[in-house]
Amino acid sequence: MCQIQTHSKGDIMEYILKNGIVYDPANEVNGEKMDVMFKDGIIVDNVSADAKVLDVTDKIVMPAGIDPHAHVAGPKLVVGRLYRPEDSRRGVTQKTKVLRSESGFSIPSCPATGYRYSRLGYGTVVEAAMPPLEAKHTHEEIATIPQLDIPALPLFGNNWFVMEYAKDNNIEDIAAFIAAWLKISKGYGVKIVNPCGSEAWGWGMNVHGFNDKAPYFDVTSKEVVIALAKANEMLNLPHSIHIHPNDLGHPGNVPTTLQTMDAMDGIKKGKGAAEIRDQVMHMTHLQFHSYLGNSWKDVTSGAEEVAKHFNKKDNITCDIGQVTFDETTTMTADAPMEYDLFRLSGLKWTNKDIECETAAGIIPCIYSKKSPVSTLQWAIGLELFLLIEDPWRVCLTTDHPNAGPFTRYPRIISWLMSNEKRLDMCENEVHKWVNKRTLLPTLEREYDFYDIATITRAAPAKIYGFTDKGALTPGYRADIAVYDINPNDIDPSKQPDEIEKGFNVAEYTIKDGQILVKDKEIVKVKESQNVWVNVKGWEQQEQKVIDNIMPFFTQYYSVKWENYPVHDHYVSNPIRIDVDGK
Amino acid sequence: MFSLKTITFDQIKTSSIALEFDELIPDEIYSWTEADFAKYQVPIGNSRFPITDFFEITVEGEANGPDEVEMILNGDLNRVKYIGCKMSGGNIVCNSSVDLHVGAEMSGGSILVKGDAAAHAGREMSGGYLEIEGNTKEFTGASYIGEWRGMTGGQIVVGGNAGKQCGECLTGGRIHVKGNCDILAGIHMTKGLIEIDGDVNRWPGGQMKNGNIVIHGFLGRLLEGFVLNGIVVDPEVDGSVFEGKYIHYTGDIGLNGKGNLYLDAEANKEKLATYGELDDEYTSIREYRNL
Repeated sequence: MCQIQTHSKGDIMEYILKNGIVYDPANEVNGEKMDVMFKDGIIVDNVSADAKVLDVTDKIVMPAGIDPHAHVAGPKLVVGRLYRPEDSRRGVTQKTKVLRSESGFSIPSCPATGYRYSRLGYGTVVEAAMPPLEAKHTHEEIATIPQLDIPALPLFGNNWFVMEYAKDNNIEDIAAFIAAWLKISKGYGVKIVNPCGSEAWGWGMNVHGFNDKAPYFDVTSKEVVIALAKANEMLNLPHSIHIHPNDLGHPGNVPTTLQTMDAMDGIKKGKGAAEIRDQVMHMTHLQFHSYLGNSWKDVTSGAEEVAKHFNKKDNITCDIGQVTFDETTTMTADAPMEYDLFRLSGLKWTNKDIECETAAGIIPCIYSKKSPVSTLQWAIGLELFLLIEDPWRVCLTTDHPNAGPFTRYPRIISWLMSNEKRLDMCENEVHKWVNKRTLLPTLEREYDFYDIATITRAAPAKIYGFTDKGALTPGYRADIAVYDINPNDIDPSKQPDEIEKGFNVAEYTIKDGQILVKDKEIVKVKESQNVWVNVKGWEQQEQKVIDNIMPFFTQYYSVKWENYPVHDHYVSNPIRIDVDGK
Repeated sequence: MFSLKTITFDQIKTSSIALEFDELIPDEIYSWTEADFAKYQVPIGNSRFPITDFFEITVEGEANGPDEVEMILNGDLNRVKYIGCKMSGGNIVCNSSVDLHVGAEMSGGSILVKGDAAAHAGREMSGGYLEIEGNTKEFTGASYIGEWRGMTGGQIVVGGNAGKQCGECLTGGRIHVKGNCDILAGIHMTKGLIEIDGDVNRWPGGQMKNGNIVIHGFLGRLLEGFVLNGIVVDPEVDGSVFEGKYIHYTGDIGLNGKGNLYLDAEANKEKLATYGELDDEYTSIREYRNL
């Protein structure tokens, strides 16, 4: 695998971040006082005497954060903003000499999204669900979000052609289809949402469990997932399949979650991919998939069961989708689930069908500490964080904005680092279900700064197969965050509020060697870059598949083929990752 | 209201584009001196201009917080909007009609408008007291676009008439309209009380889930989603007793709503006639019909 066109021009200067306390799990650096140097946007191991010194004495230095799963760009964001103007009224700021005005809380405006990630010390965010038909729009929106690298994952789990090929167990054609569609949509990897379920929603139905068939397609979710996983590994893609399993948010969904994990037992890693990542499947927002019971009346936490199973499967990774107790907006391609949520809450609901590919639904959601269900969800997320043994296999997410906005990451970090804080919340703040139906009050584990750096930087980078970020290795991009926290002077267990405050705004955020945040203020705005995967070696098979599906495409799509692909001018300044698919 | 500091705004000149007063609330200016006002620039459209170009400002007394402030606004305030917007305490007296959004999102304190108010008065207010001596237009105490929670607390009193969708999405608090009310009063409301002394054009309480609407005047047209409960005498509604006989409906059944709509029986005699002849006691129409 090689990467090209990687670096936009950064400051042509050399810098030393002096005397910081560095956490860099990829290089096994755990709180060492050392200097970090970079030149022309790249981390280096020495600089000249002319290098500019940035004094970060006794401050935490980490690679810039990587959010492995968020919804930041695409049609559902636009629909969400249109139908939730009340959310846009929150978080309004006036423009400054550097920044455009901001608006929105759970669905921030595009500039606000970039600024807020930058303030948190993040440099990369993965847009987790891009319908290929709407990819053009997604890339237009990515172009208006500043400060970040943004790979996007096209949706394949309910695609008509994929389901047809999966029914015939035609893995080679699925692989060719994926290779072609990554080029067409300028996508990074394979996203699967409620496989077969979103298609069923087109008929007002859903699939229930992992072995249910999509109506009229005679193929089960399990068959689709296994076929996509095999095709993914056949292509040596840097990321594994990225799945939002069936039955999200339904009491009693643990068996489906475990069956989805078990389905990967026989899947072999691609020969090129194996060097970078360990997993063949990334399960997203696992919190929403860890419910026992038969209904909301008898629902209990299934985190222990799920984590126990997960710990045994070294070929699977996950992120959590931690609930943050906010009023937020849920938006997902799992349209039938959104309808179920609408029936439960009665709040306003909108729905969208993406012809032949997927669907989507949006509904506001209020996660309240007084609510038993919200409390259960909050506790399950934390239980999973604390019960999953290997921090390299779990990432910090809120499934932004579904379980809460990404701006709450510092608060989640404070919960993970302080058992005292969690106990205090269990006793005094949240619903009593937390004691009756979860194990959270009995879990004493506390994350340290190294673990935090792992779940927010190193692990997502490894899971996505990034070979130029997520670490402070010489030759990597100079994506760095500095926080005004002195690890030698703070007890995270006793001072959770200080931890939250410290991680809320980075002292410095450096992206590609450019200082974007300085002294906790954004001082520079940088154009974002889309990251996409170009599979080589499958060109003939791709053309064959396209020729085969063309009659169906012409018959069923409402757009012409010529207008379907994302043309180059939609993706200015991209980062193309070439992959040898053979 | 007890106040220690009085800030008087005497108008010098008007503006054809509205001045925005949401920064000039007791919460923000309780410690300001005349010199501070001299430096302040008020938003007008997409620009800012010195407030002293438009008002002569006099400050008397000292205040330690917004509750100790009284603002008196004199002159033609028809192009001054957002007066008292988001205030949490203090007292504002407007000696004129005012522009849009007076008292919007206020959470405490009181505002008295000695004239009419344009639309959006008291939208999403959560506390405090807003009195408009004249008429007001659309969306009094309503929610802003998209929001499903309108006014959640406090009280609005309108001396004259109110426009369309008064109390839309009302989630708490009270609105008392002493005049008439236009269509869709209390649409989507879930809690609270709307009392209307005058007549109502039509369709009050559309899609209401809960809460109470009391209409002392004539109602033009009632929505189909309201079910007749019967006649009640001197009903106690939301802690207040309304003397007289009222026709009581429940709705909006389209949403399984349990809201209460009380219509003055005398003012709506014609409606009663459609239900058939009533007994002298006006007991229960339902019982009467069952007989």
